[in-house]
Amino acid sequence: MSEEYILELKGITKIFPGVKALNNVQFQLKAGEVHALMGENGAGKSTFIKVITGVHKAEEGEMFLNGQKVDFKGPRDAQAAGIAAVYQHATSYPDLTVAENIFMGHEIIRHGMIQWGAMNKEANKLLQRMNADFDATAEMGTLSVAQQQMVEIAKCLSTNARIIIFDEPTASLTRSESEELYRIIDQLKAEGVSIIFISHRFEDMYRVASRVTVFRDSQYIGTYDVDGITNADLIKAMVGREITDLFPKPDVKIGEEVLRVEHLSRTGFFKDVSFAVHAGEILGFTGLVGAGRTEVVESVCAITRADSGNVYLEGKETHFQSPSDAMDAGIILLPEDRQKEGLIMSWGLGRNVTLPVIEKYAKNGLNNEKKERELSKELLEEVDTKAVDIFQPASSLSGGNQQKVVVAKALAQEMKVVIMDEPTKGVDVGAKAEIYAIMGDLAKQGYAIILISSEMPEILGMADRILVMCNGRKTGELSRDEATQETILELAMEKGATTKGGAA
Amino acid sequence: MAGKSGRTISNKPESPIKKIIFSWEGILILVLIGVNIFCKWFSEYYNMFNLLRQMPVYLAEVFLMMPMAFILVMGEIDISVGSIACLSATMACIVCNTGAPFIVVILTALAVGTLCGVINATILTNFTELPPMIVTLSTQIIFRGIAEIVLGSGGSISAANTAGFKALGTKVGKVPIILFLVAILAVIFAIILGKSTFGRRVYAIGTNRLTAHYSGIHVQKIRFIIYTVMGLMAGLCALFLVSTSYGANTTTGTGFEMDAIAMAVFGGISSTGGKGNLAGGIISAFIIVCLRVGLGQRNVHAQVILLILGVLLIAAVALPNLIGQLRRAVKKQ
Repeated sequence: MSEEYILELKGITKIFPGVKALNNVQFQLKAGEVHALMGENGAGKSTFIKVITGVHKAEEGEMFLNGQKVDFKGPRDAQAAGIAAVYQHATSYPDLTVAENIFMGHEIIRHGMIQWGAMNKEANKLLQRMNADFDATAEMGTLSVAQQQMVEIAKCLSTNARIIIFDEPTASLTRSESEELYRIIDQLKAEGVSIIFISHRFEDMYRVASRVTVFRDSQYIGTYDVDGITNADLIKAMVGREITDLFPKPDVKIGEEVLRVEHLSRTGFFKDVSFAVHAGEILGFTGLVGAGRTEVVESVCAITRADSGNVYLEGKETHFQSPSDAMDAGIILLPEDRQKEGLIMSWGLGRNVTLPVIEKYAKNGLNNEKKERELSKELLEEVDTKAVDIFQPASSLSGGNQQKVVVAKALAQEMKVVIMDEPTKGVDVGAKAEIYAIMGDLAKQGYAIILISSEMPEILGMADRILVMCNGRKTGELSRDEATQETILELAMEKGATTKGGAA
Repeated sequence: MAGKSGRTISNKPESPIKKIIFSWEGILILVLIGVNIFCKWFSEYYNMFNLLRQMPVYLAEVFLMMPMAFILVMGEIDISVGSIACLSATMACIVCNTGAPFIVVILTALAVGTLCGVINATILTNFTELPPMIVTLSTQIIFRGIAEIVLGSGGSISAANTAGFKALGTKVGKVPIILFLVAILAVIFAIILGKSTFGRRVYAIGTNRLTAHYSGIHVQKIRFIIYTVMGLMAGLCALFLVSTSYGANTTTGTGFEMDAIAMAVFGGISSTGGKGNLAGGIISAFIIVCLRVGLGQRNVHAQVILLILGVLLIAAVALPNLIGQLRRAVKKQ
């Protein structure tokens, strides 16, 4: 087999009961390269990674490591061969120290005793290699997501991994943290580690990878040089069709003011935030993760209590005591974490959709299940959910379709203001376009929309006006014409947090 | 913006007959029949007449099982209910012995139970981070402690005026009043849990509390109501306990909370929340009642009966798991 490849897979087919998760796919990793793996959710990337790391065994196909045929019986074999993976959601133990997490399963032991000193020292050495700003004795749970990821990487390095797989590492990182990760990846590459990098973000791929392989519908589509490829080519390869307009921002006449927030503060989270949103308008809400965007809208919806400030709906001051008050008034929040806050994953789609409105259709306190079935079918079809029936559990859908169910759930209610918190997080590009289309339709129908997002293209593409937050304060407000990546970033990173730009 | 792809999503529910046959409740009905056949074979005295005569002693616990099912579906637990029953029974006897009219005695038992429930509910809804197991363990000790102080050195009290309690133990035709009451309440509780908006919300809370909160459900209000009703039903249970023994003592209601939980769990109501229904709980309650009557008639030791129930319970909890594993193994083949 070709000597230049450190890892080569050929004709891999993996069958799960009822589905071919991988169908005759191939992949070649050069020594010391960063190779991006892209594809929509459900394209088979995760299964493929699990085949490489020995978690799954492929029914057909061969795998060569340094030109030698290998056959992993389990994850331990892959680890011994120098293959390690950093997963999207850190699989760490929050109550243990960093060193304990790094050496979990392969502790440094002499005479049956754990050698704490040696282990901490070794862990610190690994952390220093990445310029980490925390100590090996720190408790895992006290670290930020980015720092926890560094620990995961250190864990890979501690097993002397020569091939490291990153599974959507930037999904929950801020921009500056992503930059830090890019730097670490560059460094690992310089040290001769080969890297497979999975991400939905094009900017990640352009920044770190030299080649990119695309999967679609469990099949291998192609491998391309990053230098010679455009967004449009990649999207076409991933989706199988051309998406002419990813951001179908409709031309909507902006109407009356619907929601106005004045001087809203919550100690420790945000301070003196004011803004207004009008009918038919999409107000972008951006800033770094942790800037307080989610906290602000959760206070508006009475999910948490603000300490001071006023919320006016259609000019009238509101006094919401509970989330249901805000919902009855027509302020609907689509929460950030659809699996934990938006949906009940083990419930059928239909029950999820009707949960907030069961009372409206009930007679004498008893559920009107027939009416519920009709309503949920209608709404789920309206947002074009890829589902077989309304009884299948929400967990059986892909991220993008789960988000559509969250939208259907909102549509079941009488809305005036729709607040979408990171609606496309972890959603593949095809479903993203569909969600933007729904958002555009809602604006056309005259709803006031607040779009919270960390993704710059999304904010620039969809928002009429952009509000930027930093460290719990509003640092600026930009019109669609004023806004560029640079102006937004400048406001989002601003340390002094003095109010700039448009007044509230 | 209607479905651009023209995809349709089915909303036809599967046939209810198929659902019942392949459900846990279906299995439980078979077990109930099996238990009755076994008891008939085991004891010559086991017949409808004797069953109805001896049943009331065990039926009082079913009052506790019904609200306990709600608490378990919420993913929580209340282990103070046996103590609440003890305190309610004690207070009812004391009021009874003052010569008060029987309606006052009834109201006392219900009021004491409700008050205890409100205490649990108040603590749990105001300090939401406290685990219900620990809170109700504490109140379990406190409520029984109060009862013991009230009972004093003798540790027991007899109801001097037994007329009212006797009335509670009477029959309509051959059917004891308590069985009527259990049946009526079972239907009410089952409809509320299975068919009402309140019940749907209880399941939502038990499956994903955060989503329930974000969906506008008054999580704490619902918890408050359920723990309060739990107390009320413990008061009702206490009345029937006194009506079978004409008194109360420090061990009244001991272990009842565990029996109630066991009945519910055996009925397929998961203690981790969100699963099961009251029909299962009621059927399993009658399985246990029949078994106790049947085995008791041949003087099988109470401890042996407990042992059998324990084994049944573990089997009930393990069986769905085993079936799932079996299914997966078959699929892999």
